[in-house]
Amino acid sequence: MSGIIDTSNVIYSYIPVAIILVVALVMPPITMFIVKTLSPRSRGVAKYETYESGSVPIGNARIQFDVEYYLYAIAFVLFDIEVLFLYPWATIFKGHGITGIATVEMLVFIFVVLFGYVYLLKKEALKWMK
Amino acid sequence: MMMHLEDILINPLLRAILGLCLMGVVFGGACVVIWFERKLSADIQQRYGPMRVGPHGLLQLVADAIKLFTKEDIIPKNADKLLFVSAPILLLGSVFLMLVAMPFGAIIINGETYVIAATEMDISVLYIEAMSAISIIGIFMVAYSANNKYSVLGAFRNFARMIGYEVPLGICIVSVAIMAGSLNIVEIAEAQSPLWFAIKQPIGFAVFFIALMADMGRLPFDQNESEEELIAGVITEYSSMRFGYVFFAEYIHLILGSMLAVLLFLGGWNLPAALTSNTILGIILPTAFFLGKVVLVILAVIMVRWAIPRYRIDQVVDLSWKRLLPLALLNLGWVIALGLLGV
Repeated sequence: MSGIIDTSNVIYSYIPVAIILVVALVMPPITMFIVKTLSPRSRGVAKYETYESGSVPIGNARIQFDVEYYLYAIAFVLFDIEVLFLYPWATIFKGHGITGIATVEMLVFIFVVLFGYVYLLKKEALKWMK
Repeated sequence: MMMHLEDILINPLLRAILGLCLMGVVFGGACVVIWFERKLSADIQQRYGPMRVGPHGLLQLVADAIKLFTKEDIIPKNADKLLFVSAPILLLGSVFLMLVAMPFGAIIINGETYVIAATEMDISVLYIEAMSAISIIGIFMVAYSANNKYSVLGAFRNFARMIGYEVPLGICIVSVAIMAGSLNIVEIAEAQSPLWFAIKQPIGFAVFFIALMADMGRLPFDQNESEEELIAGVITEYSSMRFGYVFFAEYIHLILGSMLAVLLFLGGWNLPAALTSNTILGIILPTAFFLGKVVLVILAVIMVRWAIPRYRIDQVVDLSWKRLLPLALLNLGWVIALGLLGV
């Protein structure tokens, strides 16, 4: 036997999640309050400068990054969605009497995605900064 | 008596309290792992490591905690205050939400298995992976809000690395799910009763372990920190307990990731039935066996950190897309073939 919580009642398995989420959200502000009361305070102009190994920072750090970075992220989204499609398929692979057809369908799907993978490799889209 | 125990176990509020206890356990565990890493790294480099506070530096943890609490909390004037404050909360929240679905072992009484976990879901593996992936956003928030050039560089590298390794990691988890026929992490652990999945799919285990190391941001894959070139990487501007939270989240991620490796590939808490037939042994042995394996995995991860130098970011990206992804797909094909043969 493995299921202790009655997994047919979905709400039951997510109540602990909600409670722990609340604790995780409340805990850091409380600790930061303790830190504020305990720690010493001192004022200084240079103290709140951005750290840049001692030199005065020039400009903003929030730069516009290379557009190829965006392409790379798009490639990731493609493959991640492929993996997402694999998840439901993985659970019905065995013991539902459709193993053969499920395999063929998924192999066709993976084959098509592999085409895209080879194309991206040839385009060098999966590379860090050409 | 059995029904009584089940009544207690089914109560979601009591389960949440169990979850809070497990949170405490993991926090303590993270402290111990930090101390242990310092000692072990010192040993590898033929130093002593912390020795002054308490016997063999055991109280160093307490000293560090006091120090974190009594340091001034500095928010730079160029920082985005709201993001700066909420990023560590997001990181900590992501690891704690991961922890909720994670089994910490099992108790076997009269052949019945009771899992020590805050909750049990049908899709816990998918849930755990999703919660673990939130940390990518957290780390990016940490860097972007600080408005520091070193941080932002670290964050861009971190983003490229994490999304590169997310895909092989996911495919390996799917391979495991196919073999177990379930996305419930408890059922996956119990499906390895005679043979561990690490033995049935060795390539999958190797790819999973490397991808997991990258996902946890451990050296050789800690491009977000790379302290030799980027000061402290994404956490350069953080101080006091905010720094502590980011740091703790990293170590809790290490512990939970090691548990995931043990649950998915190294057999979980499964022992031969003869060993667990005795009530007392049944209560102690499976959990001890499980946590023992977790400690071994953590040890391995720490030792790799101090043995292998950091990869350059382009090497890291190449490794994931050109080596690990094809290998993960190969492993998927191997698992499908085994499934068709009915193994």
